[in-house]
Amino acid sequence: MVLTGAQIVMECLLEQGVDTVFGYPGGAVLNIYDALYEYRDRIRHVRTAHEQGAAHAADGYARSTGRTGVVIATSGPGATNLVTGIATAYMDSVPMVAITGNVNLNLLGLDSFQEVDITGITMPITKHNYIVKDVHDLAQTLREAFQIAGSGRRGPVLVDIPKDITGQTCEFERSAPLPPLPHDFPVAERFEKALEMISRAQRPFLYAGGGVISSEAAPELAAFAEKLDAPVACSLMCQGGFDQANRRYMGMLGMHGTNTAALAIKNCDLFVAVGTRFSDRVLCNAGLFARHCPIIQIEIDTAEFNKNIEVQLKVKGDAKEILQKLNEMLPQQEHTEWMDQVAAWKQEFPLIQKERTPHAVTPQQVMETLDRLTDDDAIIATEVGQNQMWAAQFYTFRKPRTFLSSGGLGTMGFGLGAALGAKVGNPDRQVINVAGDGSFHMNLNELATAAAYHIPFLELVLNNEVLGMVRQWQKLFYGHRFSQTDVDTATDFPALARAFGLKAYSIETDGQVEPVLREALAEAQKGPVLVDCRINRDVNVLPMVPAGASVESPILEMDD
Amino acid sequence: MEYSNSNPSPVKEYILSVLARNRAGVLLRIAGLFSRRCYNILSIVAAQTENTEYSRILIVVSGDDRIVRQVDKQLSKLIDIVQVDVLDRGRIVEREHLLLKVERTVQTSEKLVEIANVFHANILNVEPDSMILELTGDAGTINSFIELYNPYHVLRILRTGAMAMPK
Repeated sequence: MVLTGAQIVMECLLEQGVDTVFGYPGGAVLNIYDALYEYRDRIRHVRTAHEQGAAHAADGYARSTGRTGVVIATSGPGATNLVTGIATAYMDSVPMVAITGNVNLNLLGLDSFQEVDITGITMPITKHNYIVKDVHDLAQTLREAFQIAGSGRRGPVLVDIPKDITGQTCEFERSAPLPPLPHDFPVAERFEKALEMISRAQRPFLYAGGGVISSEAAPELAAFAEKLDAPVACSLMCQGGFDQANRRYMGMLGMHGTNTAALAIKNCDLFVAVGTRFSDRVLCNAGLFARHCPIIQIEIDTAEFNKNIEVQLKVKGDAKEILQKLNEMLPQQEHTEWMDQVAAWKQEFPLIQKERTPHAVTPQQVMETLDRLTDDDAIIATEVGQNQMWAAQFYTFRKPRTFLSSGGLGTMGFGLGAALGAKVGNPDRQVINVAGDGSFHMNLNELATAAAYHIPFLELVLNNEVLGMVRQWQKLFYGHRFSQTDVDTATDFPALARAFGLKAYSIETDGQVEPVLREALAEAQKGPVLVDCRINRDVNVLPMVPAGASVESPILEMDD
Repeated sequence: MEYSNSNPSPVKEYILSVLARNRAGVLLRIAGLFSRRCYNILSIVAAQTENTEYSRILIVVSGDDRIVRQVDKQLSKLIDIVQVDVLDRGRIVEREHLLLKVERTVQTSEKLVEIANVFHANILNVEPDSMILELTGDAGTINSFIELYNPYHVLRILRTGAMAMPK
């Protein structure tokens, strides 16, 4: 059939099974939006308030569903507004296809109105990108974009389409999606070597990263932990990749990891890392990380071997496939004494936040109450900073794809868009965005999207009127010189939320936490709701490994 | 037993031979990767291969062994790159092309020609006050050639960067 470029874009989306896209219209994508109108019974388009919100929504959709997220923006500022969202997805290996319009071919390179070289701009933050200069290449390019985004270590791909290409016609034939690009499976010696190292170990430490979630390897990881008879720590990106109610779970490892994980890494004699890139937030001082024991790293991206830390055994491939094989080969191990020791540490070093003044609300109380009141498959998005760490520390994540957070890029303003995208992709699940007042201020315009599309979710703002994480660093390392971190804005969040069309609640004392959250969650099944939860500005995220220190030596307490 | 990060090997020059799809922007992708990952490019030579759909790009990198392995793996991740080989300098032929303009006086003229003859370099142009020479050779030959002309006031040097082919 002969179709316009814009219609080909729609057909290619349908080929991939895409039924939802996020975006914002504009001049260079008029043809695409006209086609979206034509295909509106098959492709749902969610228009955000700002392109950045659309990119985060596509990202949250992808993280929560496992499917590739799609975002559409116009040329120039529309395209540049996607940049933070694309970079966020890139750092966390989230599959995304960004489609941007550009000016007509004959206007390219002439500094035309709303022209920007978005392929040049996004080269460092995409797995790959394209500019389509011939309508005959359009379908194949889009198919490749989805193939690349969803293969191996996943990530964003951008396709830039000049406006006239979307208006030109050419012959189009439907075709099946391209199969994922092939990846390696380790040779037998790697497995034998791994088994040999495991059989020698008395005190193995199992550590899981985001790769476990993106390769859908959570069941294999759980089985492996049993066979290995080892305690488990997860990175921020693997929250929910291992059941945190399991006795083996030690908490996070890294800058804000638990003391149990720190003690375990100090005392272990084998470190097994699955689907992780050893980010500096986990390693802390790389020279002091697990140097007394060998490391086995299971990872799909070869470039992550020996990048930040040298490992003794590299096992390259998909985490799920490798763990399956290891589970088949590995005889049941027994490390009762070691597991008892870890249990004793867990008992001795629980995460605890004390009330500072009578009846003050602690973030711990809020997150634990939220945990109690929500289902195991509720989706928790977060912003970045203290709110993010508290959510990771005090909410018990039990299933993959329930925790959506910007780990690598640390994008404040990520959570709201991501939460909306997640709810659109999972209409039957509870969705909560845990925010701080700083992050909330960054992209609160997306409350308009929540109201316009009547998206049921809860925006939970932990409001301490400061940029808490940066302030915490100023406390520790800058002599309490709180440069620009005391926000003290007069914004009345509940009134603001109501102005956008949301229901809104406030929490000011500890006694209000449970009843208000209970009511807000019930309302958040019907429509968008905001809760403004007042907390003390001096609550710190602890434990904390200061810059340059070993991950084995976190600070457990600090003064206000 | 201590599993320390192994000591970095000495910084050397490595030649990478990269086969890439001949698509727009492929050089920019490579150059951008080097820049953002803080790798040093000493020279880069790129041209179409016998098959016009592909380009061959020769890159001379300075770094230790660990860095060159990272460069190799990061380059290999680029979609448009088909193959990356870190060439073993003992098993390749290596050639670089040089144009050198040197100041010429009545007193130095004879000496300048003499050096050129020793290296079988071509004299491409002679002006009353300058001379342009051309030489093809491996990096070592080119370097000694330039060194010998240095005392005579070299006005300009143009090097193509290394080309290399496995034997």
